[in-house]
Amino acid sequence: MSTTATMTQEEALKRLEAIAGPADAQVDGDAIRVAPGTAEQIAEVLRFANENGLSVVPTGGGSKLGWGNRVTPEIFLAMKRMNAVREHAWQDLTCTVEAGCAWAAMVLELAQHGQMVALDPLWPDRATVGGVVATNDSGTLRVRYGGLRDLVIGMTIVLADGTIAKSGGKVVKNVAGYDLHKLMTGSFGTLGVITEVNFRLHPVEQRTEEWTVEGDTETLSALMMRVLGSTMQVSAMQLRGLHRESSDRLDIRFCGSADCLARHREELKAIAGNLAVAAAGNDVWSARGRLIDNAEGRDGLVFKATMLPGQISEAHKRLAAWGGETICVTQACGIMTAAMLDGYTYAEQLIGELRESLRASGASVTILRVPETMRGEIDVWDCRADSLPLMREIKRRFDPNRVLNPGRFVGGI
Amino acid sequence: MLAPKQIDELRAAVGDGGLITAESQLQTYECDGLTNFRVLPGAVVLPRTAEEVQAVVRTCARHRIPFVSRGAGTGLSGGALPAAGGVVISLARMNRILEVDIANRYVLVEPGVINAQVTQRVAADEYFYAPDPSSQSVCTIGGNVAENSGGAHCLKYGFTVTHTLALEVVLPNGEMAHFGAAALDAPGYDLAGVFVGSEGTLGVATKVTLRIVRRPEEVQTLLAAFETPSAAGQAVSDIIAAGMLPSALEIMDTLAIEAAEAAVHAHYPMCGGLLLVELDGPREEVETLMREVRAIATKNRASEIRVAQSDAERALIWKGRKAAFAAMGRISPNYIVQDGVIPRTALPRVLEQIEQMSSAVKLRVANVFHAGDGNLHPLVLYDRAIEGQEEIALDLSYRILNLCVDNGGSITGEHGVGKEKQQALGYMFSEPDLQTMQLVRCAFDPENLSNPDKVFPRPRLCGDKPGPYTPHPLEKAGVAEIF
Repeated sequence: MSTTATMTQEEALKRLEAIAGPADAQVDGDAIRVAPGTAEQIAEVLRFANENGLSVVPTGGGSKLGWGNRVTPEIFLAMKRMNAVREHAWQDLTCTVEAGCAWAAMVLELAQHGQMVALDPLWPDRATVGGVVATNDSGTLRVRYGGLRDLVIGMTIVLADGTIAKSGGKVVKNVAGYDLHKLMTGSFGTLGVITEVNFRLHPVEQRTEEWTVEGDTETLSALMMRVLGSTMQVSAMQLRGLHRESSDRLDIRFCGSADCLARHREELKAIAGNLAVAAAGNDVWSARGRLIDNAEGRDGLVFKATMLPGQISEAHKRLAAWGGETICVTQACGIMTAAMLDGYTYAEQLIGELRESLRASGASVTILRVPETMRGEIDVWDCRADSLPLMREIKRRFDPNRVLNPGRFVGGI
Repeated sequence: MLAPKQIDELRAAVGDGGLITAESQLQTYECDGLTNFRVLPGAVVLPRTAEEVQAVVRTCARHRIPFVSRGAGTGLSGGALPAAGGVVISLARMNRILEVDIANRYVLVEPGVINAQVTQRVAADEYFYAPDPSSQSVCTIGGNVAENSGGAHCLKYGFTVTHTLALEVVLPNGEMAHFGAAALDAPGYDLAGVFVGSEGTLGVATKVTLRIVRRPEEVQTLLAAFETPSAAGQAVSDIIAAGMLPSALEIMDTLAIEAAEAAVHAHYPMCGGLLLVELDGPREEVETLMREVRAIATKNRASEIRVAQSDAERALIWKGRKAAFAAMGRISPNYIVQDGVIPRTALPRVLEQIEQMSSAVKLRVANVFHAGDGNLHPLVLYDRAIEGQEEIALDLSYRILNLCVDNGGSITGEHGVGKEKQQALGYMFSEPDLQTMQLVRCAFDPENLSNPDKVFPRPRLCGDKPGPYTPHPLEKAGVAEIF
């Protein structure tokens, strides 16, 4: 932002320094990075940006800034100063956390009373609560505990015009008013800035056993569907596919009492038949993060595909048949993360085919990382929902001047 | 009153057999489960397809006629109360289960399908539909979606929103839109998440994709009798603190037990606070945890502990619990059902205050609650025949809601705000909170036609121009006031 119609960067910096303090407003390349310390300061920053037509990208750990369409803002709103676990009402199984709190820091604090937010997002050391919620990330626990829609029970947000609003509350069961927090979850910071989140909590799983089964895609997918349809207490299950290896892996984590785990083990071995069932390695559940890190190092393409559990087998086979170097890991609830590490010439074609084959069931393919060589050539969202006009209208009502993350989200929202 | 031309258009939309205009028949629709509010609609339509719903809504949008959609009319907050002279869209005839996909664990239904029918349909495959409001044998999925209904088992399984994967919706302007998908995380805003629980104010759902859940291997239900509800509440806290997540944790006080006994003879032990604990899951797991629950109940001095020995016994226990509201008619001429939520640790304090408040005005309050998630259903008992008593009872019931808010809770856990609790919503949320919710309303329904004048404390208009205040044309004309 060298200049805008109304204001030079120097003038803007002065204003932002006055709001957040000189140490917390600095020039960062073409943008200004400002780190407010309170919701009121955030409101002031947004009001200032809104009145002067300056675009704002809120950011936590910055781990997912590349997701969605690229935005080059005039202001980065850093949430790092708002990083406290405000309240852990452990007897009520709820907590209130500021958006800038690193996920792992929250995990540590909640673990003191044997509790957790039942979600394992990417890069917990860096990712913040606000960023995880804004991108609706979820991991291996999703199959048992659901997603953020089921875990977030309240929120404080700041709108582009500086309005500070709350929705939901600190109780799990609550149907008073519209659930703005559901609208904010997964909205990629296009409607408001999340400053505080209330979660419902679960007890940390006390006993678990983890198994990895090796076999071909078809056989493992069938096994996965059987386990999914069983009464076994599954806390995580994922199918991993690796280019250059002839077989896939199915990882399963059971939880429950010692007796229960012992029986699940026998049941699994019985239905697995001739397949080798071995204790899972320590690192299988972080496969998704490693896959993306790997793609980062090699400028690869990463996408998230969602599908029905019954479509996982076909999606894995399509990817394997592609011929390039790929890695993928798919949660049994139907969320695949895949990396294409070379040969992008046909990437667009593959993604097009995958989108086409999944679309009938409402499934989707969203590109999380576009290789430098392909920038601008591919539609990362491919949202064809007939509700897009309504989504645009919601955006217009919340952020009429398009200050927050302009263009980052579906349909250019 | 609807003009003859408007009536003709509605008839064209749904056919002769789908339109009701005779006053005697309209009276059937003048209220829902909150019977002290009654309003006569101008017409009732009974569409059979989403296209017919769309044609009706288009007619309403064209003529600015307010409309209210309605399922079985079992709601307890007046959500299906008609708009005066407006149109009621009854979805009772749209009652088909369109698709069942066991492997992918979902069903696609029309909004008039009855809650319990979903479970019946998938029971042979060992699946069930989890949300189980007490009215589940008659209430519809469309109504459940509008209210984000819960039930006794939502402690473990979540609410209607947890189980709603996708929706087909006729928007208030008559356009049709699809929210979400059977597959998770459809790109875009989570409109299904916002729509569920919006109490019919954002449009009419015409198809619903519901998640179904594998039936657990083992279910065990325990009854434990305590001297007071607070003692039962302490046992609940200890169960939670032990890291358990039962599928249900319910408490009933003496009055509620008496009423339920009188109504269905559930053979409950007579006591001050009856605790019902249901555990489900793999057999060994349930057995292990049930031993722990027994130990906790004993430690908290339960005078009697009983585990249901058969499915029939368990069914009877639940029948008594689910009949508790209606059973109040056996012990009191009139009663008000309330629906507040508190953090469960506030339970003893709040119960004591309710007790004080009720004895101060000399009215009895029965308590039935989903103790696991702090959802109280205080039932204020009174006699309408005694002059002035209804007002005192209503005032008491609202003060109990405020008490819930003061203790960090909510004015409604599952019944909705509707017509009944609009003022209480203003007590719970600040003006900026309500203004922000109104932005959602205005994006969906700028003309304020879909279930108008519900939920929010004051009528509001959608000024189209954001930014500096400009008076709305209706306001300038003195027709309405913007707050």
